[in-house]
Amino acid sequence: MSKSFLYKINTLLKIQYSNMLEYRVEIALWAISGIIPFFMLNIWTNNGLNESINLSKIMLSRYFISAFFVRQFSVVWVVFTFEEDALLGKLSPYLIQPLHPFFRYFAQHIAEQLTRLPFALLIALIFFILNPESFWIPAVKTTIFAGLATFLSFLIQFLMQSVIATFCFWTEKASSIEKLLFIPTLFLSGLLAPVSSFPEFVKSWVYFTPFPYLINFPANLLSGNDPNIISGICMQLIWVIIFFCIFAKTWKSGTKKFTAMGL
Amino acid sequence: MDKIIDVNNLSKSFEVSSKEPGIKGTIKHFFKRKIKKINVINDINFEIREGEIVGFLGANGAGKTTILKILCGLLYPSKGYISVSGYRPFERKQDFLKNITLIMGQKQQLIWDLPPMDSFYLNAAIYGIEKNKAQKRIDELSEMLEIKEELYLPVRKLSLGQRMKAELLAALIHKPKILFLDEPTLGLDINAQTNLRRFLKVYNKETGATILLTSHYMKDITYLCKRVICIHNGYIQYDGKLNRLLTQLTPNKDLSIICKTIKDVRSLSKLGYKVKNKTSNEITLTINKNEITKVLKEIVNKFDIEDIHINEPPIDETVGKILINKI
Amino acid sequence: MNIKKYFQLYSLFNYTSFAIEMEYKINILIDLITAIFGLIGSIFLLSIFFDNSNLIGGWSFEQALIIQGIYTILNGVTNTWFSPNLKEIVKYIREGTLDFVLIKPVDSQFWISFKRISPSGLIEIIIGLLVLIYCLVINEIDISFSLIILLSMTLLCSISILYSLWFLISTTTIWFVKTWNATEVLRSFLYVGRFPLSSFSFSLRLFFSTVIPITFITTIPSELILGIAPIWKIILELVVSYIFISMSRRFWKYALKFYSSASS
Repeated sequence: MSKSFLYKINTLLKIQYSNMLEYRVEIALWAISGIIPFFMLNIWTNNGLNESINLSKIMLSRYFISAFFVRQFSVVWVVFTFEEDALLGKLSPYLIQPLHPFFRYFAQHIAEQLTRLPFALLIALIFFILNPESFWIPAVKTTIFAGLATFLSFLIQFLMQSVIATFCFWTEKASSIEKLLFIPTLFLSGLLAPVSSFPEFVKSWVYFTPFPYLINFPANLLSGNDPNIISGICMQLIWVIIFFCIFAKTWKSGTKKFTAMGL
Repeated sequence: MDKIIDVNNLSKSFEVSSKEPGIKGTIKHFFKRKIKKINVINDINFEIREGEIVGFLGANGAGKTTILKILCGLLYPSKGYISVSGYRPFERKQDFLKNITLIMGQKQQLIWDLPPMDSFYLNAAIYGIEKNKAQKRIDELSEMLEIKEELYLPVRKLSLGQRMKAELLAALIHKPKILFLDEPTLGLDINAQTNLRRFLKVYNKETGATILLTSHYMKDITYLCKRVICIHNGYIQYDGKLNRLLTQLTPNKDLSIICKTIKDVRSLSKLGYKVKNKTSNEITLTINKNEITKVLKEIVNKFDIEDIHINEPPIDETVGKILINKI
Repeated sequence: MNIKKYFQLYSLFNYTSFAIEMEYKINILIDLITAIFGLIGSIFLLSIFFDNSNLIGGWSFEQALIIQGIYTILNGVTNTWFSPNLKEIVKYIREGTLDFVLIKPVDSQFWISFKRISPSGLIEIIIGLLVLIYCLVINEIDISFSLIILLSMTLLCSISILYSLWFLISTTTIWFVKTWNATEVLRSFLYVGRFPLSSFSFSLRLFFSTVIPITFITTIPSELILGIAPIWKIILELVVSYIFISMSRRFWKYALKFYSSASS
């Protein structure tokens, strides 16, 4: 049973990878659009703002390039694909297949990340050419944990967006809701400014939200800012479980409604 | 009747990149693309007179839609000289565009969320038609098409047949001299198809508009077109009257005779005509159309028979042969 | 070119657009809230910067807010005209209905640019204007007649440049169909327009003045308000916007030629 499941996943990944290569231009562009953090870094270092948060320019540079990588490998777009499939009537055939449709989307995302890797590396190369003093190679242990944290961040975001995707069963506005909720993610996750630079009263509640664990925690790990690894990973796992449960619930009631009344 | 469409030595080719399947193929494709040149249309010539209804027949990919798009000015020809209503289509001059209209099956130009009336007024403004003239025109056409209150409902709430009627109205609001129809009955049910055909025939009669259409449905062609142009692999295989084509393809008719005795069946089978099938009391002979009358007389005089049926092999089958080039 | 006809068409396009949007009122609300969140988030980011320093690139917090206001107005313009129409052309290409546009006796660039309008963007423009007026007050700017004229002119130029950038992307749908990603690249580069140009290092400032003309789009109108924009910059903006607009037209004609020789 699990052998056939592995075979399914394997085939799915292969096809999706092939699919993604077709869209290499789009994916390259997508990688490029991820360079906002570098522009923000420029504002930070150019105006000496890093001093007040006790980070050297070099550490801050490393933070932002780490944030860039974490972002590249945790970007999620499932709500848009799902909404499109729902509108085009592709859901019904997917639902009668013996594979949860979201595995299909998950495979798409993993394949896309693989396709994206060369472009991300290219951009990193350019970054290090322009900022040679920031170059460093993280320790093996750090890389492994950072990789894990990035994957968990991806999982959290994937599940969060999947919950919103299930809203498609009730409204046509799911993707707009996602665009709306993306804004707190953008600002509170540490992509544009490290969480340590936030005002005190924001810092008091932001760690109760999943946002800092999406970019800030993995980026700090990778860049060597030494956050508390164990508690960070645990928090990520907790959020994964929370969103998984919410998703399972909304998916169940969504498909119930879909099979009873259509979209 | 004057020549309104003149096509000389028209050729059209596309460049397409091909990819091999599988991951290896994808990676190869990533680095180097193979470009293939496809000749869709090869040196074709024809003339159409004003007021004619001409059908373009051919298999998928034969080039019918390409020809239509070139005549509309939507595609550039690779080679050749074309004149439509005195203009070169791809120059897309305003006066040329005001004289033509394009209707494509399964594709709509009406605004989805609004009533058709809004789309009509928009089209009227685009073609420079005054509001009262437009209103008159809409009234005329809606009477011909038998559609009235539905024009005030959002398009998404209309049935497919009603939508098609509204699309037609929108396409004809500016009284074009030439109508280009690309698979207009695609996806419509039988009633809607019949309505469309009837409307086009009446419209052509009353306005003298020239109609060019491509279709897979034989009924469209046989009902509307006296003249057909058959395209295969980008070449014109036949250009002329539909009747003559059908006669060429089906020179025979089937004669089914119900006999009183099996002896008669045997005798009939020995008359020298091709026997299509035979049972204990019925026999079907395939007779050339020219000889039918003679054979009938012969049979009726010599035999005492129960019943006789004369059948034409189905047109679809016949024209299907054109599509696979069995002319 | 019959001006009257195009004017009439433009009002009809607006009318039909509004009528369509009214069918989906919630859209307008969500788009609006998104715009407001975006503004709040950016001001939050700005305040983080200014928490740590009094001046960024020579601009104070109150002055930097002017740029936020201008950016919001321009973002509103983008959301009112440019992104809805980009969605339309993507739909045309996907459904194969671009032919219906090309066969009409109307300039196709006009159609592609103005067919749709989004009311939520209009509200965003008003919000931007309000932020701007607030900034004028707190910065104690004298509102003279010449300021208004010059400001309108530079804003118009900025809008033209933005239009050309968006329209260039719309044109690429003819080749790529999915332009979502190209749009994202543009949006992310334009995002830096929220901040004073001088807050960036020299090389980036150069980049943002030539490759992606952020300087022109947000900084020049803001400098104008603060009275520090030299005349040559304003004239330069006029020239640049003219260049961009003619580029967009040329590129569109080129794309149509491609479409007319290669589509099937």
